[in-house]
Amino acid sequence: MIQNFNISNIKGISLEEKKLREESLRLFEKSGFPNKRIEEWKFTDLNKIITDNFKELSTNNLLPNINNIEKFKDFDHNFIVLIDGKLDSKNFKYEDEKFIKIENYKEDLIKNASTQNPLLNLNNALHEGGFFLEISSNYKVNKPLVIYNYFSNSIQNKIVNNKNLIVLNENSELKIVEFNLDSVKENYIQNNHTNIKISKNSTLKNYTVQGCKSNGFYYKFIKCLLNEKSNYEDYIFSSGLKFNRIEEDVDIIGEESNCTIQSALSLDVDSHQEIKTQINHLKPNCTSYQKIKNVLNKNCKGAFQGKIFVKDVAQKTDAYQLSKALILNESSEFNAKPELEIYADDVKCSHGSTSGSMNEDSIYYLMSRGITRKNAMELLIKAFLFEVADSIKDDEIKKFIEKNLDRQIYGY
Amino acid sequence: MLKINGLKASINDKSILNGLDLEIKAGEVHAIMGPNGSGKSTLANVLSGKSGYEVSGDIAFDGENLNDVPIEERAQKGIFLAFQYPLEIPGVNTNNFLKTSLNTIRKSRGQKELDTLTFLKLVKEKSSELGIDEKFLSRQLNVGFSGGEKKKNEILQMKLLEPKLSILDETDSGLDIDALRIVADGVNSSKTEDNAFLIITHYQRLLDYIKPDFVHVLSKGKIIKTGRSDLGVQLEKSGYANL
Repeated sequence: MIQNFNISNIKGISLEEKKLREESLRLFEKSGFPNKRIEEWKFTDLNKIITDNFKELSTNNLLPNINNIEKFKDFDHNFIVLIDGKLDSKNFKYEDEKFIKIENYKEDLIKNASTQNPLLNLNNALHEGGFFLEISSNYKVNKPLVIYNYFSNSIQNKIVNNKNLIVLNENSELKIVEFNLDSVKENYIQNNHTNIKISKNSTLKNYTVQGCKSNGFYYKFIKCLLNEKSNYEDYIFSSGLKFNRIEEDVDIIGEESNCTIQSALSLDVDSHQEIKTQINHLKPNCTSYQKIKNVLNKNCKGAFQGKIFVKDVAQKTDAYQLSKALILNESSEFNAKPELEIYADDVKCSHGSTSGSMNEDSIYYLMSRGITRKNAMELLIKAFLFEVADSIKDDEIKKFIEKNLDRQIYGY
Repeated sequence: MLKINGLKASINDKSILNGLDLEIKAGEVHAIMGPNGSGKSTLANVLSGKSGYEVSGDIAFDGENLNDVPIEERAQKGIFLAFQYPLEIPGVNTNNFLKTSLNTIRKSRGQKELDTLTFLKLVKEKSSELGIDEKFLSRQLNVGFSGGEKKKNEILQMKLLEPKLSILDETDSGLDIDALRIVADGVNSSKTEDNAFLIITHYQRLLDYIKPDFVHVLSKGKIIKTGRSDLGVQLEKSGYANL
């Protein structure tokens, strides 16, 4: 594979920053894309996946030729548009805009450090674009914010590296719907790093929805800090990507906080999806809840790696983790690696993992009512995945998710 | 309507039906009684087309041989099986399931599919006849339903789909007297000259409410005795052992 990663094309960076970026790139070049020899990637040979799917790979320096992304009308929403990873437009007409700060991501906001994570090193070296969003104290955002994350055809055979930072100050609330769309005819890679800081008494609900079948290879690393009495809920509904790996690293640093991660991934043929979580319970009286569901079609690989860490002081922690995989074809494989590391003695932690094929008795029951085998399977796949949406209280968002899930399952 | 000739069925080399003959005409109600393990449920499953059985012999429905007809097409042709143990299917909404089923069957019959409003009106009407609380219809299919509620749900499906031949596999088991009466009323009110019922049961009890035209006794996979409705009463007194 011909690889052309160039820092000198990135505009507006200081010499000092350039040095840091070069150091990160050097670290990446030393390791290359991750392979199975790295423990965190033991189920995924990304290096092979990339060499098999890309003849050449370079960073993107072109500006897309896009005028307007169509906004959906399913519910009233604020929006920001990212095109090829760069902040293109924004609209907060339902809000008092003085309480909302939205701008291009700037490097001085977070200090980069070298990491053991090759993709994060690559991101640190090459990141461009992305956004910084901050909600002021005591402001509850009225309408959901939709992030139209759009990739144009100019990024075929390219990799987009960007960073986002989301800050919720005290007593604030925000709902985000991240809607992924593209019109890319060839393969491309998104390597995103998102930092989230949720202050005291604040709530962030994030819903990721895949809007179309895609030639995308997505990697997303989310680092989330949860302060006292804060709440983070992340729902991931995705299918139709060639490769999708989402890593969430959550530090619960304040008491009486909650973290919920639920995902419903449905794999098309020949694809790969993976969720990796690490929830660090560092303070007492907090809860975390994870439910991970995967449907695997032909020649697919799926994995869940979930770690719950409970520090000695984090008494009364209540942590739950469940992974369920539905395997539709013998050619597919699912791996689950749950890990509990607990140093406190008064905690409730549980985990479970199942994988299996479709229940033939259920199919028989549905078919005995005239429903074809194909339709019966679709009903059951949807039932399996949509269970994840059960706990979503926002009806309009739930309906929107269902519509997109239907489109993925039934193909319309 | 239904003509079974020399039906044999086995599962994992264990033979369960051993040459069963049965004919059911339109407008008739047949009951099949028999001890545990005599093959009653297997007969119901085989008629519905369930896979996993080695089957030989002939099943003709409206003159058409059913041997190679798959499950869903049998249902579309008008065969309905009310299950002994209706399945719980988490995540599948009952109303949504009923609508999908009804519209698939209507489509196969060349009828127009019902829109949501018409469907809801119909399902509301049929469910209130059976004393089914509307709340159940928006719940997940059979999940958390009591035994009686599950059986009523089966009868509701029967009433919605209007099959030609309804097979009730021990629908009376697990029902209290009130539910039993509702289920029986559901069957009796569905009876026409054009449809037929095959009622599989252990006990005479259900047959006090649904009067069969014929009672067959199944033993070791064969019908060993056929009589009129008084045969059931007689069996209740003497048991199967004396046959």
